[in-house]
Amino acid sequence: MQSHDAIYMTVKAILMTGLLLGASGYFFYKLKFLFALMNSVEGKRTYTPDRIGERVKVLLTDIIGQKNVRRKLMPGLAHTLIFFGFLAVQPHSLVMMIEGIFPGFSAAQVVPGFFSLYLQVADILAFMVLLGLGYGLYRRTVLKPDYLTNGLDAKLIILFTSIIIITFHIYNAFHLVLPSHGFDYSRCFTVSGVFASILNLSSLSPAMQQSGLEITYWVHILTIFGFMLYIPGSKHLHLLASIPNVFYKSLDIEKPIMITDIEDEDAETFGLAKLHELNWKQVLDLYACTECGRCEERCPAANTGKPLSPKKLIHNMKVELLANGNSLVKKEGGENLPPLVGDETGSITKDELWSCTSCRGCEDICPVNIQHLDIIFEARKNQVLMEAEFPAELQEAFSSLENQSNPWGFSEDTRANWCKDLDVPLMADNPDADILWFVGCAGSFEDSGIETSKAIASILKKAGINFAILGTEERCNGDMARRCGNEYLAQMMIAENVEIFNRYKPKRVLTGCAHCYNTIKNEYPGFGANFDVVSHVDFIDELITSGKLQVRANGLSKNITYHDSCYLGRWNGKYDSPRSILSAINPEGALREMDKNRDNAMCCGAGGGRMFMEETQGERINNVRTREAIGTGADIVSTACPFCITMLKDGMRDNEGTQEVCDIAQLVNAAV
Amino acid sequence: MSIVAVLIETTENKVKPANFGILTAARETGQDEIYGFVTGVDPQMCKDDLAKFGVQKIISIEAEGVDLTSKPDLQAKAIIAALRQYGATTLLGLSSTVGKDILARVAAQLGAPLVLDCLSIDLQKRTVRKPYFAGKTVANLKVSGEYFLCGIRANSIEPIEAQTAAEIGSFRAEIGDDDSYVITEVIKNESGKVDLSEANVIVAGGRPVASAEHFEMLEKCAATMNGVVGASRVAVDEGSASHSIQVGQTGKIVNPKLYIACGISGAIQHYAGMKTSQVIVAINSDKDSPIFTRCDYGIVGDIFEVVPALTAELSKQSA
Repeated sequence: MQSHDAIYMTVKAILMTGLLLGASGYFFYKLKFLFALMNSVEGKRTYTPDRIGERVKVLLTDIIGQKNVRRKLMPGLAHTLIFFGFLAVQPHSLVMMIEGIFPGFSAAQVVPGFFSLYLQVADILAFMVLLGLGYGLYRRTVLKPDYLTNGLDAKLIILFTSIIIITFHIYNAFHLVLPSHGFDYSRCFTVSGVFASILNLSSLSPAMQQSGLEITYWVHILTIFGFMLYIPGSKHLHLLASIPNVFYKSLDIEKPIMITDIEDEDAETFGLAKLHELNWKQVLDLYACTECGRCEERCPAANTGKPLSPKKLIHNMKVELLANGNSLVKKEGGENLPPLVGDETGSITKDELWSCTSCRGCEDICPVNIQHLDIIFEARKNQVLMEAEFPAELQEAFSSLENQSNPWGFSEDTRANWCKDLDVPLMADNPDADILWFVGCAGSFEDSGIETSKAIASILKKAGINFAILGTEERCNGDMARRCGNEYLAQMMIAENVEIFNRYKPKRVLTGCAHCYNTIKNEYPGFGANFDVVSHVDFIDELITSGKLQVRANGLSKNITYHDSCYLGRWNGKYDSPRSILSAINPEGALREMDKNRDNAMCCGAGGGRMFMEETQGERINNVRTREAIGTGADIVSTACPFCITMLKDGMRDNEGTQEVCDIAQLVNAAV
Repeated sequence: MSIVAVLIETTENKVKPANFGILTAARETGQDEIYGFVTGVDPQMCKDDLAKFGVQKIISIEAEGVDLTSKPDLQAKAIIAALRQYGATTLLGLSSTVGKDILARVAAQLGAPLVLDCLSIDLQKRTVRKPYFAGKTVANLKVSGEYFLCGIRANSIEPIEAQTAAEIGSFRAEIGDDDSYVITEVIKNESGKVDLSEANVIVAGGRPVASAEHFEMLEKCAATMNGVVGASRVAVDEGSASHSIQVGQTGKIVNPKLYIACGISGAIQHYAGMKTSQVIVAINSDKDSPIFTRCDYGIVGDIFEVVPALTAELSKQSA
């Protein structure tokens, strides 16, 4: 018997050593490959991990604190439980491996006090994993939300994890009934003790108990190794990639589109044509995705029957990247890959690419900070600049922008006609104005936009602001052309605006349009115009707070809802000032929030150039959003972007709603 | 006296009416002999129309064993052979999709200059007027060289009839087939009617006419003026009209002589597609509708009363 034991221990030590070396070797070989793949791509963007302190803080809140994951409460709680419990059992498994290799070693004997304490905690946390997994299983078998990919991958991962945790408990349960060699296991294993009594382990013979312990040992260890081998090729690669991806995330909400050097005479291609042109951070993005589907749940295109799903887009790219991994790592064949965008080959279809409204719901909600839009914008650039492939309707908007610097093709010398009877000063006549008000194309040419502009002009006058507009010197800010991939056209217009800004050197630039604001504030600095830019919602809020604008007693007394424009909200975090304005001008009325508001707001459907494309697939996004607005019971639907107004007004007509749709500036003007 | 050749465009064996303005321009000096070049169509079918606008000779251009209509490069080659055969150095055509394609190939193969999108031409001085910067300025260009090749914008020249007795001839070009590219399929828009962007009169409907029977009312009205029907985005969305007749920013950009907007609010997205119409008439029951700030004549009234009345009056006049 003794000699049998000794032989078994020797065999166990050899097997364990071999398995550990083999599995870790393979695991690190796969990691090395993934790392090499990440380094093989040729995209230029370099990420310097600046502001280390803030990044460490993000790791503490988002990884350790699991804050981002819990923005979706139940799945987030389940994830938190699984995360901590799974981490907690790892040292125990490591001890099991060491004890297998060195039969004489026992953590219980070496550091009894510490080990006892650890086991107490791990025992509880491990059980929490089972609760989390239980919820996960319930969600995948009963709730089955549409946005969740319910494949074999996910089920295998649940199975692997469950086996690891259950064998952890059973292994420890056996310890409770076997000789303890002086270590008090009974204090450590609250949960495992329950396993021991349910399985009635004490009724087994000592030999059976010993065999049971060893069998459980091997099931546990082999499952861990199996899992290790499985991770690098599965969506659970997320386990390894999320932490660095969160660490390298963009710390600011505001984000410009990458500047393409269109003057570069050596450039052979513009934008993103093929997978090997991604940059390493984008590859890390792909690795980090675990197909949780929160992006898809948010996506206005996916929710209204369009072919786009941000999750599918990322996943398909990842599959294609890994499938071509070997040749990419060897730096051969990148050019031979099929184009990224294509209806027959490639990871993204044309309809998917052009369905995006760039609302940024996906990036905002992604728990691991994947940047979907960096890919979409660059792929659109390639389609437009290199392939001349884009929805036909855009042609008219592009040529109108090129010829008249507004997407509708109105003569550019009529840009200031909206205010010809309003005594609005021009920068040319008042170059020292405190505020350069950039009116924008919609504010200058479009009916509702003009109403907003008139309201802003009136507010500025009532508050006694020394302001001026550019008039016919103004060009389109470039938002629509840039987001539709026409970087060349966008840069042409931006260059003209930048030149004129730098000539007047305004103290402050005011915008009345969410798109103008975002581009001038976040993208113009990259083109050499770095000025203090303020949106009309912030500016009006300032005027009211500082008392320069006096609200009439009682204000409006209406029920008002506010639609967050994506380019003020998710792109710039301007959620509070419009609401602060509304509570100031409407003290006796109510703000009736839509279910989807602030960072969760649904797009109106016009962003990313969609304003100038037909919406032929699925339901119209604006109709869905307008119905939500009508559902609040508000009398007035307010917003702060001319495109949103157009979309909501159209939606109001289509849904036969009677609510007034207007810009928040019009409400302010009526209340002061 | 010299020969002026005109590239005649046909659709379904009929001469496109847009050619008549070009023929009018071709007769400008009154002394030239007008040749109408047709390809892939029975010249007999074009005879009446072309004779009415002063074509003296209709030349059917053919080539042995080659379908010229599906091989634009060879069609251009055959046209050049015909020009040389008849000693013609002037070739006029429409600045349309077909014209831009064929004329450009002819010019390239001849190494001759070509001006497209002309508003008018002067055959004696060999000058053309052509808009630049989306019509903000118009330039007079003098064309030098042996050949005078122009594509003229549809509807820019008023067609004037000048009956002649057109004689039919054919020209068989001695060109072999080659492997230049072939047009395998032409996908036509569904309506099969006059292309909106070439129409003289458009009667367009918006939200209130968003049903098929209401569109018939507009069609009747348009028919009295040889016009066609257009639609706003809403009418197309409601499914009563095809996207091919949608006028606006994301549909067709049109420039007819007369645009009648029926029940269209005139939002900027629609206006952007028809703002270059010569005369815009708006019929709308809402007097505050933005269309009334953008039209030449506005009728405040119910389109279901106004349009039938208008149709009745116009039918009386044409009868």
